[in-house]
Amino acid sequence: MVGTEHLVVVDLGFGDAGKGATVDWLCAPEAGLGVAAVVRFNGGAQAAHNVVADGRHHTFAQFGAGTFHGVPTVLSRHMLVEPIALAAESEQLAALGVPDPLGLLAVDGRALLTTPIHIAANRAREDARGSSRHGSCGRGIGETAWYALEHEAPTVADCRTPAILRGKLDRLAAHYDALIGPSAHGYESIDALVAMYRDFAGAVRLTGDGELARAAARGRLVFEGAQGVLLDEWRGLHPHTTWSTVEPRHARAMIAGIGGTATVLGVTRTYMTRHGAGPLPTEAPLGNPEPHNGTGPYQGAFRQGHLDPILLRYAVDICGGIDGLVVNHLDVTGTACAAAAYETTAGPVAELVPGRWRDLEHQRRLTDLLSAATPVLEPVVGDPADWLAHRLGVPVVLTGHGPDRHDRILRRPVLGADSAGVGARLAATAARSA
Amino acid sequence: MGYGHWDDSAYRAGKTFRARAGEDDFGYTAQMREQPYDTWCAHPLLDPFGVGVRECRDSAEHGNSLPVAVLFDVTGSMGRVPRIMQDKLGKLHGLLKSKGYAQDPQILFGAIGDADTDRVPLQIGQFESDNRMDEQLRAILLEGGGGGQKSESYELAAYFLAEHVATDAWDKRGKRGYLFIIGDELNKPRLAARHIRAVIGDHVRRDVSVESIYRELAERWHVYYILPNQSSYYRDPEIADHWRGLLGQNFLKLDDPGAVCELIALTIGLGEDRVDVDTGLADLRDVGSVDEADAVGRALGARPSRRIRALPPGK
Repeated sequence: MVGTEHLVVVDLGFGDAGKGATVDWLCAPEAGLGVAAVVRFNGGAQAAHNVVADGRHHTFAQFGAGTFHGVPTVLSRHMLVEPIALAAESEQLAALGVPDPLGLLAVDGRALLTTPIHIAANRAREDARGSSRHGSCGRGIGETAWYALEHEAPTVADCRTPAILRGKLDRLAAHYDALIGPSAHGYESIDALVAMYRDFAGAVRLTGDGELARAAARGRLVFEGAQGVLLDEWRGLHPHTTWSTVEPRHARAMIAGIGGTATVLGVTRTYMTRHGAGPLPTEAPLGNPEPHNGTGPYQGAFRQGHLDPILLRYAVDICGGIDGLVVNHLDVTGTACAAAAYETTAGPVAELVPGRWRDLEHQRRLTDLLSAATPVLEPVVGDPADWLAHRLGVPVVLTGHGPDRHDRILRRPVLGADSAGVGARLAATAARSA
Repeated sequence: MGYGHWDDSAYRAGKTFRARAGEDDFGYTAQMREQPYDTWCAHPLLDPFGVGVRECRDSAEHGNSLPVAVLFDVTGSMGRVPRIMQDKLGKLHGLLKSKGYAQDPQILFGAIGDADTDRVPLQIGQFESDNRMDEQLRAILLEGGGGGQKSESYELAAYFLAEHVATDAWDKRGKRGYLFIIGDELNKPRLAARHIRAVIGDHVRRDVSVESIYRELAERWHVYYILPNQSSYYRDPEIADHWRGLLGQNFLKLDDPGAVCELIALTIGLGEDRVDVDTGLADLRDVGSVDEADAVGRALGARPSRRIRALPPGK
């Protein structure tokens, strides 16, 4: 199916905006999109994508959020794969009535492996930082990405070759010995890990380059982003970022690689949220209910703030533009304010300009600017989704009015929106909201 | 997470992956079932024939090893117990370590059948303190035979433990280990020399009385017999009288077979004077074994919360 329009779902904020519910909806047969697979293209087991449907609730971490519909998941080479958590998640899904969850997986052999050694190192490091923790899920994501930069790190494919895997795990353990040794954290014997990883390799389908094309031959792909683009390793508010490329460039590249076109959907709530440290200029004690997000020992507190079109506009820009908006939590009332501008030490600011890619100095300056920014609030008039569409110049495709699959309303066709061009879309949206 | 050398998470994950790959938790049994019955044999890890000694030794990391042997009757319906055991192995080891019931437990698994009728009437693993325990369990052959004479070759297993096991606990510290036999039938009337020769390979010429082998065994082991509620024998007074005669109050009836791991853990805690019954039952509830705690409480019944005796007062 050359030229198929594949979908990319990214969170325009700091995560928790409702990617899971969105992907679940897109994968539903009723949506008529013919989704053949969900592809994960960043992050790892730290993802927490909630899906509530038909009396079931699951927080998807490594399995794609289309799993309740039996849609297979491809863990691409950009994923960090954690098999122990994967096994536990498959057990949870089986208990929820998903037949043979592990049979729905295809895992790219080139994906990095997150091991209990990385996790122990992550936690030992965060404990040592004490109160100056900079926000982490404690799932070893950063350590996995960081170690792989300078070392031959264990990969999913290594699980098939115990001798190679053992060598890599021994060196990984030796590398972290000084950090983990004196800490309260530990891990199982490397023998036990190697045996378990061998079982993992025997139980799931390990794949390589051709897998995406094979999956695309069966239908449409939905690329499910993790976290939020404002946490992107190069474009986020440095240093309060994740060790992962969150904005959709990897997804776009993979889609181009199979000759398809990308339709990118950006997800946001009608207000801002953030886990842990880092700028949140419109932060306010909104007190909106948050049933699925607590305060993790490593993550820090769950924070809320007024809608911030300035941050969201920046997010759209660093995504290289998006094709549609998904606005969630429209059932939450009392979020009638949004940032019109910020008062900053450099005067009023109404726009954040992206720097060059990988210019962390620029990102640091943005963080400093936003940390000292005071928002100038304006009322949100009328339907918040339409109001936001107008402000961002992006049409609303789907709105969420509650946590359940049935709380979603389709505002316009998911596909084909880009044929009209941004100008036309903006005009149409403006006309509708006028 | 992390009870020293045992962490349940990789074990759990491996179990999930093996199940998906269609590998039975008792993979060796599955393998044997695909072969003609007359070729069935014990896994080399567990074959008692010609074994010098099974050793339970201290190591640099584990300087205070405590031998724990768990032998299952694997005939007939009793085959379910090893499955329960495998499911809860992590919990057993975790309880022993995390609640301080035993410092360095080393666990040996074995299986008991009928030497008159079974292909593989005795299997004896090695003492292990890490995830290799799981390997031993997986290698057990669940033959599922049994001859219907209301007796199994428990006495043959008792002989092996008495004659072919060496422990630092005893050699260095004069300390007895813990042996749990889980079954539902009687011993054979005599410990038959021909069974010893055929199954273990010792050149023994005369039969031995069952009483004398258990007496010898009790010198170095606290011996318990657990009768789970698995068959009609649970209420058979002949079974109860037989084992009480040999082991006194170390004959334990367990109405919920699912609680066998918890019963073993708490029995060791009590035997080691590390816990009393009430605290131990609270420990079980603490690790999520709520129903099991009730069953264990009933199994230990009116027992004093003090040290449990290994044998009844001398005859």
